[in-house]
Amino acid sequence: MSGLISGSLYATMALGLTIIYGVIHLFNFGHGIVAVLGGYFTWLLLTNAHLGLIPSIFIALVIMFFLGLILFKAAISPLLKTPTWEFSTIIFLLGLGILLENLILQAFGPRVKQIPQFFEGGLKIGFLRVNWHEISLILIVFIFIVLLNYLLKKTWFGQAMRAVAQDMEGAKIVGINIDRTFRQAFALATAVTGFSGILLATKYYMTPHIGWLWMFTGFVIVVLGGLGSAMGAIYAAFMLGITEAFITLYLGSLWVWPIWFIMFVVILLLRPQGLAGGRTL
Amino acid sequence: MSANRAASRIALDVQEVDSLYGELQVLRKASLRLHEGEVVALFGPNGHGKSTLLKAVAGIHPAVSGSIQYRGVEISGTTSEKIVEMGIAYIPEDRNLFTEMTVLENLRLGAFNRKARGRVAENLEYVFVLFPRLDERKDQIASTLSGGESRMLAIGRGLMSGASLLLIDEPSIGLSPITKKAVFGAIETIKQETDITVLIVEQEVDHALKLAERVYLLKKGRVVLEKEAAHISKAEIEKVYF
Repeated sequence: MSGLISGSLYATMALGLTIIYGVIHLFNFGHGIVAVLGGYFTWLLLTNAHLGLIPSIFIALVIMFFLGLILFKAAISPLLKTPTWEFSTIIFLLGLGILLENLILQAFGPRVKQIPQFFEGGLKIGFLRVNWHEISLILIVFIFIVLLNYLLKKTWFGQAMRAVAQDMEGAKIVGINIDRTFRQAFALATAVTGFSGILLATKYYMTPHIGWLWMFTGFVIVVLGGLGSAMGAIYAAFMLGITEAFITLYLGSLWVWPIWFIMFVVILLLRPQGLAGGRTL
Repeated sequence: MSANRAASRIALDVQEVDSLYGELQVLRKASLRLHEGEVVALFGPNGHGKSTLLKAVAGIHPAVSGSIQYRGVEISGTTSEKIVEMGIAYIPEDRNLFTEMTVLENLRLGAFNRKARGRVAENLEYVFVLFPRLDERKDQIASTLSGGESRMLAIGRGLMSGASLLLIDEPSIGLSPITKKAVFGAIETIKQETDITVLIVEQEVDHALKLAERVYLLKKGRVVLEKEAAHISKAEIEKVYF
């Protein structure tokens, strides 16, 4: 049960990464901090502006989306046009991640913060104890995945992203503006990542530094699932979430990363392109 | 027919275009002209700039000098997005299909540009009439199509953009004789039933000569010959190759 929850949370985070990689072929090393930012903005709105939970989340996401647009236009788009873009973007985002982490530290302080759970209480089914919040998280992620799928397949915007991911030359040929699509994909992914950060913050806790942990998990998932594949990321996320739960239960939480690592190596040895590898958005 | 041609408006006017790949000059003052509704074939040895010329018109590869005008408007240097909107569709030799999408999704994306979005249904209908095979396979993933079918899909996708000028790069290369006939047949139908202007690059001289009204020969990036298709023979064309 708890595996399903962590799985779904990880999935959301990984999808943000997948969108960026799939469409732009960019490894977003600032990913973790973006997630954390989402959480912090929400917290800020909750406590200082005294807005309700849902409006806070909504506004935080909108802010994230626009930040993504601005960041892309101001910094990443120019970098992409240089010949060493693969390298320079990674360094840039990494640096930005560290910078933001410290800014957040300064602005919000090092102590742990939490975003309140969505619901109180829970139920007992047989020997399982489940609380409403966790159920709501799973439902939310489920709805989110359905919405994202709809966006990708049934809107011109989503189809443009898929087209660019699958054949950039073909996308140019049908008249898609590659630059604009990149920008929109990046902004979308930023909002998605921020969202995952908010969800994670309600279940666990949040400090400025936790972004890196979330990000590593995100990368493992994305590579395991097959870079650029949304379905693969979802499968991998659930696989890791469920195994994490089992491992914690039977062996203790310290065993999680080592066993994940072994799984990772074995799967990639057998199938180097990842679980759903070769496929894109 | 000739009198009509002469009186017909000029659709595409390529004048003295140079183009480079890195430091290699591929087009040297290449010039050609198409009238509205004409079908023109572009022959020439491989690597001598035929595809580059098409790409330059489509806005996918830059022309470093010279001018390219479509219906009187200068398009050299314009983005590919705007060029598609103006009615020019490029159908590359590599097809560049969206491999993980269905035939239908590929075709719909062909209508991505603003002008074509409102006409998806009717353009789709026409494409399916032209290529019934695509209708049969419309929910099939593009990567599972045969060589000929993917060529047809590429042409269909180009038509979906509402194009008035088709730039087709080697549509029959690598296809079986029967499929070649089908593909050329479709282009012939487009010629007969629509006012679409077609510039077709081909190695398959026989078929292309039957289809085209005029031919150009490109050698070493330069246009070395221009003639009415009726006044030129395959042998004459092949002589220029060597």
